[in-house]
Amino acid sequence: MRYGKVKRLTAAAVAAVAGLSVAACGGSSGPAGDDKTLILWHMEQPPNRVAEFQKLIDGYNSTNPEYKVQAQVQDWNQIYTKISGAVQSKTQPDILFTIPDFTTYVRPLGAVRPVTALVEELDKAHTFGEAAKAPYRDDDQYWAVPLYGMVQMLWYRKDLMAKAGIAEPPKTTAELLAAAQRLTSGNQKGIALPAGKNLATDQVLYSLMLTGGAGNFFTPSGEVNFDTPETVRAITLYRDLLKQSPSDSGNYSWGEPQAAFNSGAAAMAIEKGQYLAPFEQESGRPASDLGCAPIPVAETGGKPGSIYYSNAAMVMSGDDAKAAGAEAFLKYVLQPENYGTLLNAEPGLFLPLTADGATAESWTSNQVVQKYRGCVDAMLEQSKTGGLFGFLDGQYVDSIGKISGQNVLAQVVQRVYSGDESPEAAVKWGDEQMRTAVAK
Amino acid sequence: MTSRSAAAPGTGEVVPGTRPTGRPATASGRRRPWRTHLLGYGLVAPLVLVMLGVIGYPLLNTVLLSLQNQGVVGSASTFVGLDNYTRAFGDGAFWASIGRSAIWLLGNLVVQTIIAFGTALLIGRNGRWARASRTWVLIPWVIPTVAVAVIWQWLSNSNYGIVPKLGAAVGVDGLGSPFGDSALAMPALILMNSWHWFPLGAVVIFGALRTIPGEIYEAARVDGADSWRIFWRITFPLLQPVLFALGLVGSLWSFNIVDSIYLVTKGGPADATTTAPVFIYGKAFNQFQASDAATVSVITIILLAAVAFFYIRVAKPKEDA
Repeated sequence: MRYGKVKRLTAAAVAAVAGLSVAACGGSSGPAGDDKTLILWHMEQPPNRVAEFQKLIDGYNSTNPEYKVQAQVQDWNQIYTKISGAVQSKTQPDILFTIPDFTTYVRPLGAVRPVTALVEELDKAHTFGEAAKAPYRDDDQYWAVPLYGMVQMLWYRKDLMAKAGIAEPPKTTAELLAAAQRLTSGNQKGIALPAGKNLATDQVLYSLMLTGGAGNFFTPSGEVNFDTPETVRAITLYRDLLKQSPSDSGNYSWGEPQAAFNSGAAAMAIEKGQYLAPFEQESGRPASDLGCAPIPVAETGGKPGSIYYSNAAMVMSGDDAKAAGAEAFLKYVLQPENYGTLLNAEPGLFLPLTADGATAESWTSNQVVQKYRGCVDAMLEQSKTGGLFGFLDGQYVDSIGKISGQNVLAQVVQRVYSGDESPEAAVKWGDEQMRTAVAK
Repeated sequence: MTSRSAAAPGTGEVVPGTRPTGRPATASGRRRPWRTHLLGYGLVAPLVLVMLGVIGYPLLNTVLLSLQNQGVVGSASTFVGLDNYTRAFGDGAFWASIGRSAIWLLGNLVVQTIIAFGTALLIGRNGRWARASRTWVLIPWVIPTVAVAVIWQWLSNSNYGIVPKLGAAVGVDGLGSPFGDSALAMPALILMNSWHWFPLGAVVIFGALRTIPGEIYEAARVDGADSWRIFWRITFPLLQPVLFALGLVGSLWSFNIVDSIYLVTKGGPADATTTAPVFIYGKAFNQFQASDAATVSVITIILLAAVAFFYIRVAKPKEDA
């Protein structure tokens, strides 16, 4: 009798554990779609972006497509390992958002489908800019559908510039350094730059490398060529600018320079369009006090430019029918009447990549875009001269993900800023690190 | 052969002057037949199997991975013998990270022990504040690590942090986050981590303090011992077994911390806070060199085991202490 009770209890416990395990497997941490659900992974975690992306997806699902889309938000810091494991276990999402260097990492895993026909069809219908498509073309195929662009600008506080007697934003790197020095006074710093070991530092430095003639650090055959006089000059400039940046810049990433800029602790910053939307509320200043200008160019050997890259979506469905469903969703997104919902997930930061998208009412009617139309147009103009490491001048460097993944550019900055190394020695070290990374 | 019994039959109590052999024996001195142990082994077996699954298998896998040339975790690889070990032994960056781990470990051990001991002595008093403190002293411990990292970064941020603001209020301008300074980042992280974990040590020491009979203190006071003498001659020796265990577990725990460091500095600035675990993480997930990461993991495990063995040999309290 008693034995029977124990047996029943044991069976109930086993059933409960099994039930919990099954429930756990069906959690939101990984793809759990049924045969008629497409799983979409994106890495845009801020709540406003999650909500707007969901709005776009809800709009698509309300059209009663054969395959409905379900979004799962991922973390950029974990996506590299997560997608690797997902592909191995054949549980990869149907659609994965990407940037060019991440694509070079994911493709060798083996689940990315070429989307050449779709990109060409969309190009014909909406007209992509060349810089949007090029980083996703390799082996005569497109591997992702471009969705939105991002570009860096020089942001400046007009009120603080006027107070310092500076009438015009700097156009050259020498003017930039002089302005930063002049704007540094008391607790106010001339510029806020990131110098942490992170992608933010990589990107800001790279904008100045581009305008300093050091943007392409690969030879035409794809070998690393980082240790050049132009790179040393760009690093020297960054080091000198950091002297006019808040003292804890060595730990700065994306948010800190923006906080310094909006609080008036710094008068200039180099970043993308996320500076627009919160400016008035966070600074307490009118929108007219926010100025933007192209990234200053080196006096000798420089050319206009800025880091620019398109975010895109890869199709990774395991079967053809789902892949077709994923492509149908991406077509829907790029329709001018829907495109604005995606772009306005972060107005000013997410820039249109198509000709009809740039004039789409769904985007231009946004309040932030309207208020800062001058800066938005300036960003679209800057995009034309933008570029990204590993993808300049028609290159497609397969191993660029290994370099960006370990933030070699940021580490070079840290060596001169926190480690008191000379720019020459730090650049030499960076060159060696890149060669080692690529060789592995 | 029969083993000599170390216990008084039926009581489990150790007879003074004898040493327990660890072998169970019957009252008549004969060893029990193996069947009598079956239940015990059966009860322990599931745990052993779980341990083999969650520790033994990954460990074996790590050793095997260290003998291959795998890049991205899970990608194809081939056997390369001891090449990775040869490279790792000559890698200055790895040994530098081991050095930083030693600083991190010792720093945490010293700072946490001092704060925990001081706190335990304070909350062990009989006042109302001391009694109330026994609850809220646990707050730093229950805060998630990610929140601790954010709090400390906010506190010290030059734009909106309260520390720079207070500094400015008393005339010290230009204070910035120590996490951005290669000379200050490691001490600041040690302080942050110690603040996070000291309540655990404080509670354990406090609990151990309560087990010391009050009569011993009374006798010492009657004999004219002052507080300092009472601490060093009574409290400290009686706490040694607890401090030993706390030191061992706490050190191994501290050594393996990645999250606190990675969340705040990512091992920077300029590698100033790249300890061995952060180095291993970076190898595996930033540099995509899974086999190299496995190799330095194996070396680190061996080093850690050696240090733990040395610690046990040197610091283990005497049985008759």
